[in-house]
Amino acid sequence: MSDSTLPASEPNSTSTLLEEPGVLVAKKHHLLVRWSHWLNLPILLGLIASGISIYWASPVYQHKPDPNTGSVDVAADIGIWICSHVPGLHHYSSPPHWVYNHMSLGPGMLALALRMHWLCAYLFMLNGMVYLAGLFMGGGWRSLLPRRTDLFDAFMMFRYYLGVPFAKLIRRKWLHPRFNTKYNALQRAAYFSIPVTGFLSVTTGWAIHKPMQLHWLAALFGGYNAARVWHFWIMWLYILFVVPHVILVFADGWDTLRSMIVGWSTRVKRSELTANEQ
Amino acid sequence: MNNKAKIDCVNHESRTNETARSVAVESVSVEKRQGLFEERPLPLNEIAPRVLRHRSRRDFLLFGAGAMAALAGSGFLLPQDTLRRMGVRRTVNSPAKEWFLNRALRIDDDVAEALYSGNRRVPTYTKSQITALKNNYNGATPDPGYIPGWNLTIDGLDSGLSISLDVRNLMTRFSEHEQITRLVCVEGWSAIAWWAGLRFDDLLRAYPPMSQAKWARVESSVNLDDSGNPDPYFISIDLATARHPQTLLASHFNGQPLTVDHGAPLRLLVPVKLGLKNVKAITKITYSAEEPRDYWAERGYSRYDGV
Repeated sequence: MSDSTLPASEPNSTSTLLEEPGVLVAKKHHLLVRWSHWLNLPILLGLIASGISIYWASPVYQHKPDPNTGSVDVAADIGIWICSHVPGLHHYSSPPHWVYNHMSLGPGMLALALRMHWLCAYLFMLNGMVYLAGLFMGGGWRSLLPRRTDLFDAFMMFRYYLGVPFAKLIRRKWLHPRFNTKYNALQRAAYFSIPVTGFLSVTTGWAIHKPMQLHWLAALFGGYNAARVWHFWIMWLYILFVVPHVILVFADGWDTLRSMIVGWSTRVKRSELTANEQ
Repeated sequence: MNNKAKIDCVNHESRTNETARSVAVESVSVEKRQGLFEERPLPLNEIAPRVLRHRSRRDFLLFGAGAMAALAGSGFLLPQDTLRRMGVRRTVNSPAKEWFLNRALRIDDDVAEALYSGNRRVPTYTKSQITALKNNYNGATPDPGYIPGWNLTIDGLDSGLSISLDVRNLMTRFSEHEQITRLVCVEGWSAIAWWAGLRFDDLLRAYPPMSQAKWARVESSVNLDDSGNPDPYFISIDLATARHPQTLLASHFNGQPLTVDHGAPLRLLVPVKLGLKNVKAITKITYSAEEPRDYWAERGYSRYDGV
């Protein structure tokens, strides 16, 4: 595995030549992986916000006009419900627009939302390619591949996460399952599914963007209308991913968060040490 | 184990055989070889703390600069209304922003044009798959009073003349084609409908446009705005798309002559474009070498609108 940013140095042999005792660091993330990781944040926010503005023009989830509010759009119903039940929002100027005003660029700006969506979509595809390049150049892809033991290991991790709060409460030791891979099975499942999700977003996106020239692609998702529904629900996968992702990174500590900026970690496992020396 | 790894093993074997003739040791080392898909341990480095501090500082500064750039970029690109809602009270309407967003739109149009093929037919459906098609006239629906005196004017012809055709003329001169296709609206909804009419291509053959023509401007002078005032509607269409065998000048909808709702007596039906290019109640077609104006492109939508 080539290492472009850190000078190659043999552990043990050069350490005696350094003035200060050296710090042993493990190279975790390739430069391209780190940059594309953070670029996803503004790009996905832009895609989601503009996407919901596009959704406003023709909501997928509609019903017959509500006798009281006249609303036909489920997202508008949710806004109306929020404004009538959440304290402090009773005088909100336009309850049917509450969801669009808070989760999108805003209602009634389809042309602009489309332009923003195309811009972000092309950036997202470029960024995805940069990410894949980084995964392959740094060899990180191997750590993401699912393996046979994952189902059991994922269950053990799940059990561990569930038990942590109780163990803290009754002040008992609650041991983290042991594994000598870069990620545990749950992390691996999450980090493997996110590029897959990105791929599905892009393919369903093309299916509904060019349903005539790429009609075979739309047919693959059950036709134009079904592909729109897929595209909408796949968006929620990012939100479903990002909430525990952020919580767990902060819970795991500074080293993990820092490694996505600097690329290295000072958490060097004994197994890695021995494996590297061979 | 994959092929490359196997070859590596063979090489390894021959080398060890030359140097040390210990078969037992060698077989162990072959087993230790990692498969292509097998996870490798993270590469380790020993670095002087001073160097590590320096590198961290550099990386944090770089990523900080990147974050600031992303923030500035979003502030620059986001619409005024959105920024105002987020509590940013700054009104800048920069021409650079319009240029930048239009550039992204142009790239997408170029991709759409590259995807287009004159030989690729759009999917057709059976009568049982027909769905309801709403009247999506941009403004008010015109009063049917225009229909009795309706004429189609064609300009920019090779002959240099301007011609005018009435409905009977069009219907008797050209053969009728039927198709059940999907109409896709820029808003996201779509409808499957049964259309019949003449091929635009047949009209182009009967009245050839001037030799350098690449575009057609298709317009309706009877369109109205929301309050019912005249609001002529005009779109641009490239001649390559106009010549597509499924591009019709439709006169019938679901087996009946077009109603005013759907653009009586003649509308453009071009399933490889968004619905907004499917002009209702066409009154004039003008061929040109230069790209003509487009009603929705002037309102921030794409020019090409290929689907």
